[in-house]
Amino acid sequence: MDIVGERVIDAPRDRVWDALNDPEVLKACIMGCEEIEQDSETELRATVVAKFGPVKAKFKADISLEDLNPPESYRLVGQGQGGIAGFAKGGAAITLEEVEGGTKLSYNADMAIGGKLAQVGSRLIGSTTNKMINAFFDALDEHFSAGS
Amino acid sequence: MEAFNYRKAGSADEAVSTLASAADGKFLAGGMTLLPTMKQMLATPDTLVDLGGASELVGISRDGDNLVIGAMTTHATVAGSAEVHSAIPALAALASGIGDPMVRNRGTIGGSIANADPAADYPAAVVGLNATVNTNKRSIAADEFFVDVFETALADDELVVSVSFPIPAKAAYQKFPNPASRYAVVGVMVAQTGDGVRVAVTGAGPSVFRASSFEDALGGNFSASALDGLSVSADNLNEDIHASAAYRANLVGVMAKRAVAAC
Repeated sequence: MDIVGERVIDAPRDRVWDALNDPEVLKACIMGCEEIEQDSETELRATVVAKFGPVKAKFKADISLEDLNPPESYRLVGQGQGGIAGFAKGGAAITLEEVEGGTKLSYNADMAIGGKLAQVGSRLIGSTTNKMINAFFDALDEHFSAGS
Repeated sequence: MEAFNYRKAGSADEAVSTLASAADGKFLAGGMTLLPTMKQMLATPDTLVDLGGASELVGISRDGDNLVIGAMTTHATVAGSAEVHSAIPALAALASGIGDPMVRNRGTIGGSIANADPAADYPAAVVGLNATVNTNKRSIAADEFFVDVFETALADDELVVSVSFPIPAKAAYQKFPNPASRYAVVGVMVAQTGDGVRVAVTGAGPSVFRASSFEDALGGNFSASALDGLSVSADNLNEDIHASAAYRANLVGVMAKRAVAAC
């Protein structure tokens, strides 16, 4: 499944870059994120409780940051294990561009889901993913408007 | 399935207080979605609070110009009710087309709308008929109730008590069912109500929505031909192995016309 989109964030590019690399900000902005730990400059471990309607599964994810080119672009690569619920893996290319009104963040992600979640939840994953992405950016907007 | 505590509540108040004392509890209505999910171990609540003993939540009554349906009333009861047939035949027809006989005999209106499955039928009736959802705390207008995929305005500890449907002048529901599950690939409720024509679409998007351009056209000329040339945008519509977003967008027009013709 490919997920492509963009969003303008009302903040300067270097601040957006810093926020996207701050585990505390990520934890506050990712829906259902219980814990996020930074193992090294480029490695994160996250625990996320994903809710797909009646489904509630805890995923432990390992995420690495690649091709870092601050403050313009980077690549996120990750995989998550949800125990009996299944697994998810994917990558996302992210670019930040200075535009009028702030910073345009473009993402191009490729995600695969396997296991039981994929069997019973395939018809729901697209719309749930969109909801989580929108919630992330709404929270990020709120972070900047509260912090400025 | 993981072990869990089972509590049977005798009233709505008892159900709410029992849920409040559980660490990770869920209300159990008909269980047509929750129980299969638990069997797959995709949800593992520690407590289920069964609403089946709360008789106040069951039943169908007329209250002036409204038809009031208790949250724990099954689809089969709504489908077979003489009261519903005489007041809002479209609602009885919708209920008769949900799932299979087992789902209709166990599944409930409150459970269906609280779950807010994007392909469920009842959300189209609630929004299309401009119903009011009554909970243990407040009354919620249909347009405010459904928020997003599987998301409603309900708080975690809030229980649907009944749904109050204003009786429309005319209404009809048409759906293109998935042949296996009978879930709506697209379903459209069209109604002439006290505050104009309403067109509610389920199955097509992340959540039920109103087709306002269809409503405007039908407000001027209530006939299927008034919808000629109109369409909804395929942006953000659902896409899965059953239908693409563009196919669903086309179905919205087709089902809306059929519904108008059936009014």
